[in-house]
Amino acid sequence: MSTPARLSHEEIRELLGAYALDALDADTAAVVDEHLGGCVRCMAEVDQHHEVAGLLANSGGTPPAELWDGIASRLGGTSDDSWDRLAARLDVPGPVSTGPQVVPLDPARRRSRLVAGGAGLVAAAAAVIALVFGVQVDHLHTQVNALQATSRLSGAERAALAESGTRRIPLTDPARTGVTPATIVLTAAGTGFVVNDRSAGLAPLPAARTYQLWAVVGTRTISLGLLGSHPGIVPFSVAGSPGVSAFAITDEVSGGVVQTANQPVAEGTVRV
Amino acid sequence: MDVEQASDANLVVAVGRWHEPALAEIYRRHGGAVHALSRRMLRSDPLAEEVTQEVFLDLWRNPEKFDAQRGTLRSFLLARTHGKSVDVVRAEESRRRREDRSTRETATAAYDIDHEVWDLTVAEQVKDALGALPDDLRRPIELAYFGGRTYQEVAVLLDQPEGTVKSRIRSGLGRLRVNLMEQGIEPAGAGL
Repeated sequence: MSTPARLSHEEIRELLGAYALDALDADTAAVVDEHLGGCVRCMAEVDQHHEVAGLLANSGGTPPAELWDGIASRLGGTSDDSWDRLAARLDVPGPVSTGPQVVPLDPARRRSRLVAGGAGLVAAAAAVIALVFGVQVDHLHTQVNALQATSRLSGAERAALAESGTRRIPLTDPARTGVTPATIVLTAAGTGFVVNDRSAGLAPLPAARTYQLWAVVGTRTISLGLLGSHPGIVPFSVAGSPGVSAFAITDEVSGGVVQTANQPVAEGTVRV
Repeated sequence: MDVEQASDANLVVAVGRWHEPALAEIYRRHGGAVHALSRRMLRSDPLAEEVTQEVFLDLWRNPEKFDAQRGTLRSFLLARTHGKSVDVVRAEESRRRREDRSTRETATAAYDIDHEVWDLTVAEQVKDALGALPDDLRRPIELAYFGGRTYQEVAVLLDQPEGTVKSRIRSGLGRLRVNLMEQGIEPAGAGL
């Protein structure tokens, strides 16, 4: 069916009901789409039609539980871009309180740590995240720019959200396929956040234990600091260390270690 | 975050922060409606399940597409469900056309959904509001919405001019909105 490349405002208005019910062919729908991008009035009418149509279908009922299992198993691979685009939506009424359970990095551990000799090697091949942590630990290039205050974290988090080039790196549990206990949000400037879902992510550790964050830069493994025994959102910085190829979190004794032989409890590669 | 207490809009923001329990709560609230609509349109459990999964995965990947200023989350999800189901319906129809040239007979049988529409477990007020519409306004809406057909196809089925059907769908939706408001239901959405 041929569709005029351009339709008048009135002609398009006549199509809005059919458009809202997906009752237009693809070409005509595309013409309407273009018009809606610049016509608030028509967009408002379509929104109203959608609401009415939604009520017609509003049959509710209990959703199949097994369907959720299928959805949950496919939640990986979130678009990085969505994080940036969502920033504009953060000011909806009654902001969520996913934070701010900030567990500041231990200031004493924020200072540089020296390499503990050339013990071992790191196979930092991105495709294989077999992070062997009995290895060379370089000094911390970057001061961990902890944004410790709760109020400041919120501001910093929002700033990070708004930055273009912010990336999300899921940290998966190597022992449980498909489980992503924590996520790294890393801005182009090198400021990052470890985001742990406290209810379903990294489990609380005993008081004598702490989670520790590591980065792989080239062939070196760098400690980025301690996350505490039950982290929520923890900021860090790798601003002085471009080229981080992977992140990992280990379970260590309280106070942390300079190098570790423990297997990561969560790990993820940084896509270039 | 207590997801059970959170508003839909806040749950979507949490989804943007990869808060899986928030998506699970959205599914608990709206998954039934999404699944019911897709199943009713597609009449196939496997296809309906696939559409349902895609709707929630889309929300997980692109939460910013929901704009709380423009309507409710449920209507947003149902609109996405409808669009995806229509795609499936039309793909199936296209396949059927290739396989069977007796398109009209096949299509007519597929359009025979009148009783199914009324079998919906919609609220009584919505039923009343829809029922209060004259047949010439109600039928095009039902055939287009639940049948997943273009207004031109509806025009053929009802043996009416395309322009008439197009106008009746629009005016029917407007009348339905008024009827709903008279029933005490205030559909969300931006005002004109």
